[in-house]
Amino acid sequence: MVRLITHNLLACHVKGCTSNNFPLEFKDVQVVLRDSEFNPDFLRGFIPKIEWPALTGAARQLGDTSLPDQLPEMQDDDFLKVLHHVLLEIHVEEGTMICPNCKHNYPISNGIPNMLLAEHEIG
Amino acid sequence: MAPPVTATSVPSSELPAAYEAAHVHEIYEHIAHHFSSTRYKPWPIIAAFLSSLEDGWIGLDSGTGNGKYLPLPVDRPGRLWTIGLDRSRNLLQIAKTAGEAEREVVWGDVLGYAWRHEIFDYAISIATIHHLATPERRKLAVKRLLSAVAPDHGRVLIYVWAVRQDEHSKRDIPTDPASTGSGQDVFVPWVMSDDKTQVFNRYYHMFEDGELASLATVAAEELGLIVGPPADAASLKGVEIRQNGWERSNHYVELRRWQT
Repeated sequence: MVRLITHNLLACHVKGCTSNNFPLEFKDVQVVLRDSEFNPDFLRGFIPKIEWPALTGAARQLGDTSLPDQLPEMQDDDFLKVLHHVLLEIHVEEGTMICPNCKHNYPISNGIPNMLLAEHEIG
Repeated sequence: MAPPVTATSVPSSELPAAYEAAHVHEIYEHIAHHFSSTRYKPWPIIAAFLSSLEDGWIGLDSGTGNGKYLPLPVDRPGRLWTIGLDRSRNLLQIAKTAGEAEREVVWGDVLGYAWRHEIFDYAISIATIHHLATPERRKLAVKRLLSAVAPDHGRVLIYVWAVRQDEHSKRDIPTDPASTGSGQDVFVPWVMSDDKTQVFNRYYHMFEDGELASLATVAAEELGLIVGPPADAASLKGVEIRQNGWERSNHYVELRRWQT
């Protein structure tokens, strides 16, 4: 599954591609929305690890503009519910993720991203 | 009766990645469904490790197989997220709904590093590193785990199969006297339940007593980490070996990163 929780962690790992290799850009995606259980305790713990501009940018690429540009200081339940939806309910089923630096393509098929590299691309 | 485990050695003429592709990855693609049906019960030490983690943490299961550890801990569903990585697409297809819920899974190699550095709070690698065909590659796999987790609290649990089998083991591990101290390379047969004439010989490196902890120590030192309990002095980085044990024919280590 590629949800934005995972997308916010993935980076390009082609040999020599060590800067500007995050976040990967979505292209030609098919998105499905599916409900999942709201867990505010998880979200509060995870928020410090989120790269916020990468998350808002990726959400916009998937057609969701519900997140504020800046991480709000006041993280009430209304905000956490929006964040929950963006991180855990938008599933990218098909498409491609492209490295902003080296342009390597990582395909997504049946909800599973292919992060394998050819032997000569491994760092 | 199952066919015996046989001693082998990885030919030096062969690229280890190609050897693993033929003797590990292709086999798991073939046996994925049958294999998965035999792997459903979490091991107690691994379940206890996952239960000890905090709400809000994220982790990597490197070599997740059918994803049987992704739903844990079962009493706190959704409070922490383990992302499953595996080389077998067919096993991931099973893992992505492990425990009847949607999981996050990634198709990749345990020697890859497709992540923001040190972003995870924990990483587990269960019965995976023993499929890598050289000591260098097994060490690199441990380095990848240590580099995946947070420098000030990241926790790592690794399980591998042991030469030393317990009395209930169905496997008799042949040992080459010349290999003492460095483990034993073997083929472990997998017999398909629906067609017993189909036998797949999977490559394993069975670990000697002490070998896994030594591997973890060298891997940590090569990353510039001190191996031992947290130091008193400031500005140091290290790894503590919190557990180093043998259980039911497996060796395991639990590592904890620290930073002062």
